[in-house]
Amino acid sequence: MHETSLVLSLLRQAATILQSHRGAAVEQIRVEIGPLSGVEPLLVASAFDRLVEDSDCRGANLVIEEVSLDARCESCSREFVIERFRFVCPNCSSRSVRVVRGEEFRLLDLVIREHESAVGTSGEC
Amino acid sequence: MHGTTIAVGQPVGASLREQARVLRDQFTRAGTLVVNLVSSPGAGKTSLLEATARHWAGRYRIAVLVGDLATERDAERLAPFVPVRQLTTGGACHLELPLVLRGLDELGRPPLDFLFIENIGNLVCPAAHDLGEHLRVVLLSTTEGDDKPGKYPKMFRTSQILVLSKADLLPYVPFSIDRAVEDARLIQPALRTVSVAARQGTGIEDWCRLLVDERDALLEANP
Repeated sequence: MHETSLVLSLLRQAATILQSHRGAAVEQIRVEIGPLSGVEPLLVASAFDRLVEDSDCRGANLVIEEVSLDARCESCSREFVIERFRFVCPNCSSRSVRVVRGEEFRLLDLVIREHESAVGTSGEC
Repeated sequence: MHGTTIAVGQPVGASLREQARVLRDQFTRAGTLVVNLVSSPGAGKTSLLEATARHWAGRYRIAVLVGDLATERDAERLAPFVPVRQLTTGGACHLELPLVLRGLDELGRPPLDFLFIENIGNLVCPAAHDLGEHLRVVLLSTTEGDDKPGKYPKMFRTSQILVLSKADLLPYVPFSIDRAVEDARLIQPALRTVSVAARQGTGIEDWCRLLVDERDALLEANP
């Protein structure tokens, strides 16, 4: 249920970007999912399969990059991967830890295919 | 014919998040502290709000938006004490900003010192949705087990206050406040905590003072 609303947001976001490329179609949507994103990759993939065909992105492929929860200690500057959601520096045990990656469900990029008829009229190839 | 890559690099739901930020700024300027209350079903969110309204007894201008899948029970419980609107989601397991905005319109957008949003009873999905709040308060009751925070990392990570509710039941349950707080602080070291027994009134003064302090800090930081 929850992945459904976020995948609908994703498809709307991609469709909005597509609007500035008139006549194009989306071939691929690449996303990043981190451990604190609140979404589960398998459920995102199945929601996407279910919802994409009724959207402006029909025919597009979803690529999911799963990332780790990366952090930086604000006390000793050590960079590390947070294990088991323990926000503690493995080097100095400080609790002042800043997450640098892995809290988000991000839209990374789109691969679009310009429509054939756009070639020639816009001068682009 | 070729594939062109368009770099995006945006969170999914970026525009809703931006709307939430705008709403939060509007409330900041209006001097309203917005509080998003989250918990499992039955942890005591509505009871806490009732106790808060009764304790203040009109001293502050407050309103509540309460979210549920079905029924108006919580709104009916609170209506004698505070302006309240029920947000009914149908099937959705979490509140989202558009529904909150609709509730605000129904309230008539009066000037407020505090706006409380009581989220759907769910420690999972609401964590990912910004409702424009300044403060996210997570309730954990003594009957739920002191090993729960670690099971809901996103919710505890994104909260600022942990309310340990139903403290009057401590003699009857194997719940250690210290263990629960320690577990929660492994995820979010900055969590402030308060224990309450809403039906008895225990801890309500401390909780209310915490809210007033938060609002004062907000007003001071944004003159």
